[in-house]
Amino acid sequence: MIYCVGHSIISPLGEGTEANIEAVKAGRSGLKHYTERFADVEPFCASLFDTPQEFVPLCIKSVKMAMDNSSINNDQTVFILSTAKGDHLDLYTPAQQIAASFGNRNQPIVVSNACTSGVSAQITAMRLLQSGMYQHAVVVGCDLQSRFIVSGFQAFKALSNEPCTPFDPNRKGLNLGEAAATIIYSRQQNGQQPYWTLKAGSIHNDANHISAPSRTGEGAYLCLKDVLNGVQPEEIALIGVHGTGTLYNDDMERIALQRAGLADIPMSILKPYFGHTMGAAGVLETIICAEMAFRSTLSNGKTRIIKILSGFGGVNAAIRIER
Amino acid sequence: MEQLIEQLKQQIIEALNFEDMTPADIATDAPLFGEGLGLDSIDALELLMLMDREYGIKIADPKAGKDIFRSVRTMAEYIQEHRTK
Amino acid sequence: MYKVQKEIEITPTSVILNGQPIATTETGDKMLVELYRRYAGDYPKFFKMDTLCRLGFIAAEIVLREPDCQQPTAVIMANRSASIKNDTDYLATISEGNYYPSPALFVYTLPNIVTGEIAIRHHLQGETSFYILESPKQLEQLVNCQLSIVNYPLPTVLAGWCECSKPDEFYVKMRIIYGTTD
Repeated sequence: MIYCVGHSIISPLGEGTEANIEAVKAGRSGLKHYTERFADVEPFCASLFDTPQEFVPLCIKSVKMAMDNSSINNDQTVFILSTAKGDHLDLYTPAQQIAASFGNRNQPIVVSNACTSGVSAQITAMRLLQSGMYQHAVVVGCDLQSRFIVSGFQAFKALSNEPCTPFDPNRKGLNLGEAAATIIYSRQQNGQQPYWTLKAGSIHNDANHISAPSRTGEGAYLCLKDVLNGVQPEEIALIGVHGTGTLYNDDMERIALQRAGLADIPMSILKPYFGHTMGAAGVLETIICAEMAFRSTLSNGKTRIIKILSGFGGVNAAIRIER
Repeated sequence: MEQLIEQLKQQIIEALNFEDMTPADIATDAPLFGEGLGLDSIDALELLMLMDREYGIKIADPKAGKDIFRSVRTMAEYIQEHRTK
Repeated sequence: MYKVQKEIEITPTSVILNGQPIATTETGDKMLVELYRRYAGDYPKFFKMDTLCRLGFIAAEIVLREPDCQQPTAVIMANRSASIKNDTDYLATISEGNYYPSPALFVYTLPNIVTGEIAIRHHLQGETSFYILESPKQLEQLVNCQLSIVNYPLPTVLAGWCECSKPDEFYVKMRIIYGTTD
């Protein structure tokens, strides 16, 4: 069994998982308008830290918070970093710096699977633990916004300059966001009640186009089918979808959910609160989605949730977790 | 106009990396998307940027691009009317 | 048990397929174009790709054309410097005073695009994953770990270390690794 024994979120909405859950419950959003944050780019709407953050210290802070209530043995622990652009385009050095700051000598792993990285990284952790190569995995997801990223998404005409409205017929595009989030997985319960267990994970490519989502939701559908693996759709309490608010991605997800028989299951969409936090998204959204579903009376005692993401390169990734 | 069309063809070839193509290979009135040159969504975005970079034309609504990018001729006509450089 | 079925290694001055050198007349980036014309030739999207994608695309093209090559169920690739060469090219399009961000370059500022290009070309709807790692050895460990936990159906992995940090400087080593009950 792969247990979640710790987690944390640091976002513009607050520090710590609880602060972020409270913010979401209160309907607070981190999205604001920006006109002068980065030179040359057109005005945009995003969820950014008021004070610009440093990548490595932010990740370290997030990991420390997640470790607070879990004891993990360093020799048998691997650090996995999920990020799109890392620390000023450097991806591996920050991972080494984060692991080293905890005295960890194992070579860290960086998952660079576009916007699915946060879910892909949890799947990588699951495999490393299942194989017995490691006993614990620290999965940290983080991205900070920059002129580089905002200009690129604007050139792609993918950004809405208003707060995003996923699955709305008049949706205009996505908003970017900043955050760091950590999940610690372990093969051992360490005498405490685990937050959840990671049951299944799947990654599939659309094999269709490097930036346009599949019109038939091919890869996402195959992921959903894999992670259900015998579980009936009505046994799922909640599906955390990507829900970016772009015309084609939301459409693709709707088709994939319908094909997998999951169209009637409640969805969790968090981009209107946090924006698209890229490398952090899969980690952050898994935590919020799981904690809210497991605590809510609306789940009717159901204990299973699915988290799915899709990204550039035609890649899709999904996991199933259970209380 | 003819000179603009020739220049535009050359710029399209360079911007979209049509390695083995010369301006003579692009028919002025052939559709750029679908049947004709077979451009895709990223090419369309690159053409929007080309209009801005070379002719100072900003097209905010990508949907408006559909009519402008029907063929090299429609592009050239639009440029002639709206160019700022 | 797992076996390496096919293997290709490409450097700016050499191409070695299953231990046998393949002669080329060009070197560096031009050699990739030469290989494209010889082994593919029918896929003009090649010329839109950044060098990292060209490199992975060509290696996959050659190795997957080998007789009795198994169709991969997963494409797992890695390198040390992510998409830094293309990131640098994109940065040039947003320099101050000359700000025209190129969407065609921006899309390649993610290293996993190479796995997507290979998946599209060979209609592979299995897993595609890209990692940033310290060394090819670490990729080998990750692939072995992944292979060791799957019993059925036995996977066939296209695994590749695919690196390009500067113009005319690159390295790819790609293997088809398959599970066997022998």
